[in-house]
Amino acid sequence: MTTTMWGTIRETLKNSVGTGNFANWIEPLELVSVNEGVAQFTAPTSFFGNYVTQNYADQIIYHLNRNGAQVERLAFDVRPAANSARPAPVAAAPVRQSPASIDPSIPDATLDPRYTFENFVVGKPNELAHAAARRVAEGGPVTFNPLFLYGGVGLGKTHLMHAVAHEIRRRSPEKNVVYLSAEQFMYRFISALKDRKMIDFKQMFRSVDVLMVDDVQFIAGKDSTQEEFFHTFNALVESRKQIIISADRAPGEIKDLEDRIKSRLQCGLVVDLHPTDYELRVGILQTKAELYAEQFPGLQIDNGVLEFLAHKITTNVRVLEGALNRLFAMASLVGKPITLEMTQDCLADLLKSSERRVTIDEIQRKVAEHFNIRLSDLIGPKRLRAYARPRQVAMWLAKQLTNRSLPEIGRKFGGRDHTTVMHGVRRIDELSAADSQLSDELELLRRTLAS
Amino acid sequence: MTPRQLSFDLPPNVALGPDDYFVSEANAHAYVMVTNPDGWADGKLALIGPKGSGKSHLSRVFQHLTGATVWKAGQIGATLDLPSCPIVIEDLEALQPQSEEPLFHLHNHLRAQRLPLLLTATTPPSRWSITLPDLASRMQAAPTVHIADPDDRLLSAVLMKHFADRQLTPKPALISYLAGRIERSFSAADDIVSALDKEALATGQPIGIKLAGRLLDNPSD
Repeated sequence: MTTTMWGTIRETLKNSVGTGNFANWIEPLELVSVNEGVAQFTAPTSFFGNYVTQNYADQIIYHLNRNGAQVERLAFDVRPAANSARPAPVAAAPVRQSPASIDPSIPDATLDPRYTFENFVVGKPNELAHAAARRVAEGGPVTFNPLFLYGGVGLGKTHLMHAVAHEIRRRSPEKNVVYLSAEQFMYRFISALKDRKMIDFKQMFRSVDVLMVDDVQFIAGKDSTQEEFFHTFNALVESRKQIIISADRAPGEIKDLEDRIKSRLQCGLVVDLHPTDYELRVGILQTKAELYAEQFPGLQIDNGVLEFLAHKITTNVRVLEGALNRLFAMASLVGKPITLEMTQDCLADLLKSSERRVTIDEIQRKVAEHFNIRLSDLIGPKRLRAYARPRQVAMWLAKQLTNRSLPEIGRKFGGRDHTTVMHGVRRIDELSAADSQLSDELELLRRTLAS
Repeated sequence: MTPRQLSFDLPPNVALGPDDYFVSEANAHAYVMVTNPDGWADGKLALIGPKGSGKSHLSRVFQHLTGATVWKAGQIGATLDLPSCPIVIEDLEALQPQSEEPLFHLHNHLRAQRLPLLLTATTPPSRWSITLPDLASRMQAAPTVHIADPDDRLLSAVLMKHFADRQLTPKPALISYLAGRIERSFSAADDIVSALDKEALATGQPIGIKLAGRLLDNPSD
């Protein structure tokens, strides 16, 4: 009963407060119940309630009572749907981990389960590094120590190291494989110094079977950490334990790294990962897209999209995969297939070298050109249909693509009033809803202007 | 000339609770993404929007949901202490070069711990001037979500919220008057409300269409 009553009252209110105010403030409200003189509503946010109480309460109460309800005041609840799923905040976890609380027996970073050999796409630029990592992962006598992987960012060093760790743990679970970043090595070293636990620290690192240190360039310039790293390194090599190191450049080129460490790092096998070529990038995208196809069944990706990405994003694989992530996230959110147009829209910031806002002048020129009329007629006073419609289209585009105020848009169109602009925009909205040809045209214009 | 009432530039009492966040077409996508950290590819998200578009408010909503800690990018020091809760880093453009390495390690730590990382800025990650390539590529790999310029409903709501934050309750007619006449951006909404507040205090005129019309005609006033 409350719903139907509220329906009629809303219609009445629409006339008395005006459509704009109605859409903003009354339409989002829902009447839940009327109880003991209190009309209970739900509203999208809490200031809605305050605002409606201050401005419309009298009218609403008047109309409710006229429709037979006994209401003295209004109450508002925030609609739970808008802010659903709000679990209790994670129990105030200590933000700062005190160094002493770290369990010395689990020193390695968590391995990413996705970084396996199966998921590593091999191509010419990385085949040597891949083969060497495979060789180490298979175990057997240590032939090259250390294995030193280097290459630019996002080319797969970390992926290979995680894959080696996964593989060794799978083949020989009894082996103590430790993977950590150079930063974590330093952090642990400093903590051990602070807590006077150097003996534990040394024992812990010297009891591992395979030690992997990622991004070793980060200990450059940190002298006592380097010193300790050097000793750990020597101790492991002497007991013929495998070491794998990665860095962003060759050992000899790391600045502020002690020479004795440089030479140690060079005495094993040094392999570099080259920047990817087009074929490898396509291969990586295809593998990734297949994984996504399992994750989002039914999501379509047009032919040519992967090739387009591989052609456009050449910097590194991380950015390339990130781009594909974004595409799939977007597509699954809006429930549409991934087309080339959508790719260009969604990844505009990666594909274009600069951000640029469209100006009203550009819109006017483009629209005049598109409809084959003179710019002076588009802006001028003539009200023939042949000019008026393109003019409204241009106004509509000016509202969509710029954030200029309506009075300013009006001024740009031969000093027209802002209500004329509002009318034009509304007219195009109505027409394009009914006329698919017009809406295609608008989309085309919008796209050419935005690109 | 009548003496002008002095008005102090006191910061308004901005309401940042989750119930005060108004979802409309322009920010719905951002709202859905930010409130579902489980769906973020690679556990991070860059929230991009112009000044005043509600990025901070949305990150407070995220904080409310997840118990995250909010940091300003400009204040990241060379700390070694690593958090064990989700992290929001605001205003990434203000990141100092010496903070890049700490942020890189923070990022890797959060990845390893499977904790979400929310980044906010006015431009997308590919435009941030980060010199450390390891960090730059990780930032660029983050999925991004944009808050667009406000649509008409959001603009009205933003105007209303700016008034409400200053404890002002103008007539509805003023809101529609302003929404139809100001530049359709978040910062323009903020500017006009603070100009109206100041002018009304200084001259004793009531906040209404008359005052608004005068301010809009003479923006330099």
